[in-house]
Amino acid sequence: MKSNGIAALAQDLVKRFGDFTAVAGMNFEVYRGEIFGFLGPNGSGKTTTIRMALGLLTPTSGSVEVLGVPVDGNTHALRPRIGYMSQRFSLYNDLSVLQNLQFYGRAYGLSNHELKEGVEDALVLAGLEGREKVKTHELSGGWRQRLALGAAILHEPEILFLDEPTAGVDPLSRRDFWDLLYGLIEKNITVFVTTHYMDEAEHCHRLAFIQSGSRIVYGSPAEIKEEVMPGQVLELAPSDTGKTIQVLREASDRLKIDEVELYGSLVHVFGPQMEDKLDAIINTLRDAGHDPGQASLVEPSLEDVFIASIK
Amino acid sequence: MRKSLQRIWSLSIKEFIHLRNDWWLPAFMILGGVLELVAIGWATSRPISNLPLMVLDQDRSPASREVITALENTGTFELDSYVGDMQSIEQALELGQINAAVIIPPDFGGEIASSSGQATLAVILNGAESIPATSALRAIEGVSREMGQEILLERLGSGDDALAEFEPSLRVWFNESLNEALYTTPAEAALMLEFTVLLFAALSFSRERELGTLEQLLVMPFSSLEIIIGKSIPVMVIGFVDFLLMLAMVHFVFDVPIRGSLALLLILAVGYLMVELGKGLVISVISKTQHQAFLVVMVIGMMDFMFTGYAVPVESMPEFMQSVANLIPAHHWLAIVRGIMLKGAGLDALWPHILLLAILGLVIGTFSLRFVRRALD
Repeated sequence: MKSNGIAALAQDLVKRFGDFTAVAGMNFEVYRGEIFGFLGPNGSGKTTTIRMALGLLTPTSGSVEVLGVPVDGNTHALRPRIGYMSQRFSLYNDLSVLQNLQFYGRAYGLSNHELKEGVEDALVLAGLEGREKVKTHELSGGWRQRLALGAAILHEPEILFLDEPTAGVDPLSRRDFWDLLYGLIEKNITVFVTTHYMDEAEHCHRLAFIQSGSRIVYGSPAEIKEEVMPGQVLELAPSDTGKTIQVLREASDRLKIDEVELYGSLVHVFGPQMEDKLDAIINTLRDAGHDPGQASLVEPSLEDVFIASIK
Repeated sequence: MRKSLQRIWSLSIKEFIHLRNDWWLPAFMILGGVLELVAIGWATSRPISNLPLMVLDQDRSPASREVITALENTGTFELDSYVGDMQSIEQALELGQINAAVIIPPDFGGEIASSSGQATLAVILNGAESIPATSALRAIEGVSREMGQEILLERLGSGDDALAEFEPSLRVWFNESLNEALYTTPAEAALMLEFTVLLFAALSFSRERELGTLEQLLVMPFSSLEIIIGKSIPVMVIGFVDFLLMLAMVHFVFDVPIRGSLALLLILAVGYLMVELGKGLVISVISKTQHQAFLVVMVIGMMDFMFTGYAVPVESMPEFMQSVANLIPAHHWLAIVRGIMLKGAGLDALWPHILLLAILGLVIGTFSLRFVRRALD
């Protein structure tokens, strides 16, 4: 990862709408050439923060800089250097693939020659060669996202803001989409992406967990895990997850464990030095008449970390 | 500058593509206007005639028959039936079968014949349909005046020439044949320009907001002025083309003359179009959905319509309403269209309307530009 400078910087950023505080003192630094993830549940202030970074909203207090320039008062100068792909609707559905790309290209002032090359690149990127005349609304979610990405980088921005780009897209298409994002890093485009998918968070170079408008954890995935959840997680595969969780939660004080959570069809148990507590936990379950199933110590996932950190 | 023009052009192209894809909307506006023009033009191109008339003749004298024949001869009425009682008349009026009824009292003929008699007859009109009622009233007044004159002459015992000098000579200017189409069809064309421009302007931003694309547009390197211009060009084109089509129909199909300067009319049409554009854009940025924008256009359009003097003459409104009418751009625009087309008026006659329209345009335009720019920034 190249960290040759700061691509975006927020300092004590606050946005209030009447009595409601959407963003409550946000701080972050995004380095050039990285994928920075903004992770949080719906309504946590992710979109509001992006809108302030784009100059669409004026902060109530605090400041935000993009590409070394304060956003406030410089939005017009910054726009050609920024790319943006909004939640789901960044393309015109009644326009064809080609018409959408041409609109983006011309709006960003590309010359005919640049436009022709850019459109070709975007079509390759989206995998839509030969389908230029297809109306955008006829494309499935995954194609549309890739086309929107192609359109957003047509003018070769230095930083790209993506607001939940993969919401509602199937897992395979999401995977493809992230491969494309890694490709952008090689072109030296900084990527600022919001998501609520935990698996996507693992792909970010650095990320911030957001809740109720505040940053709760911040750093690279490894740093975050180390900070919030040093050590390992006990993973159980019981036949009855509900009862297992109930029994362990009731015994949590005696066993000195912090959390017991459902993890897919498995149960994750968090706490310090889990390796020492393995036997006590299994015995507790057996005494209560439950089969703990296969038990193993695993590295915590970001989902574990996220659940632990919002409690 | 070149880049700025390129951006404006890119936006206008996009808007034209939207219009082509949603072709039914412009087609509906144009076709709807043409249909309305045809309907109104044909319905109002002839004087009102053949209104069904019911008669309750309690006299059954030569004099009473003479009255009925005279009424029929006006062409305004067509004898529906003779009835024997009031109930039938009331029923027929309620059911809308007739527009008018004449009741001739039993001693009608006798009163006319007697040298000091006062002949009376009653006429009942369906006032719920005011336009036929007015025509009917006019026809009945004519007949009764003529009959009164005859009776007078007879009683004075003098010849027809005695009152000839008092024959009034009436002439209607600008619309000699009192053909209503001359009055209604230019007004239709003028109002269609307002509705078309208002509607398409109102949809321009509300559409993007509803679809969620407005945000994307706002982070692109457009200035707010570039967005406004880029979005306005297609609206102006479609509004102007619609007006040209309507004007051509009014002139060639309904034979309405263009007695004044066509160039002046078209130049003022562009000016008026900009005023309505300003209103439409404000509606557009305050509406969250296309549906909402459409409803606001309907409300404002109908209100303007009331003040144009098309439905009710502005002169017959209360004084307060008359001064409000002066603040409605469509009111002046209609006066200009009628003035140029029917009266052949030029700048010398129309300048008060043009001046007021220009002032209103300046006020609306300035407000609109500021309001929309603030909404977009």
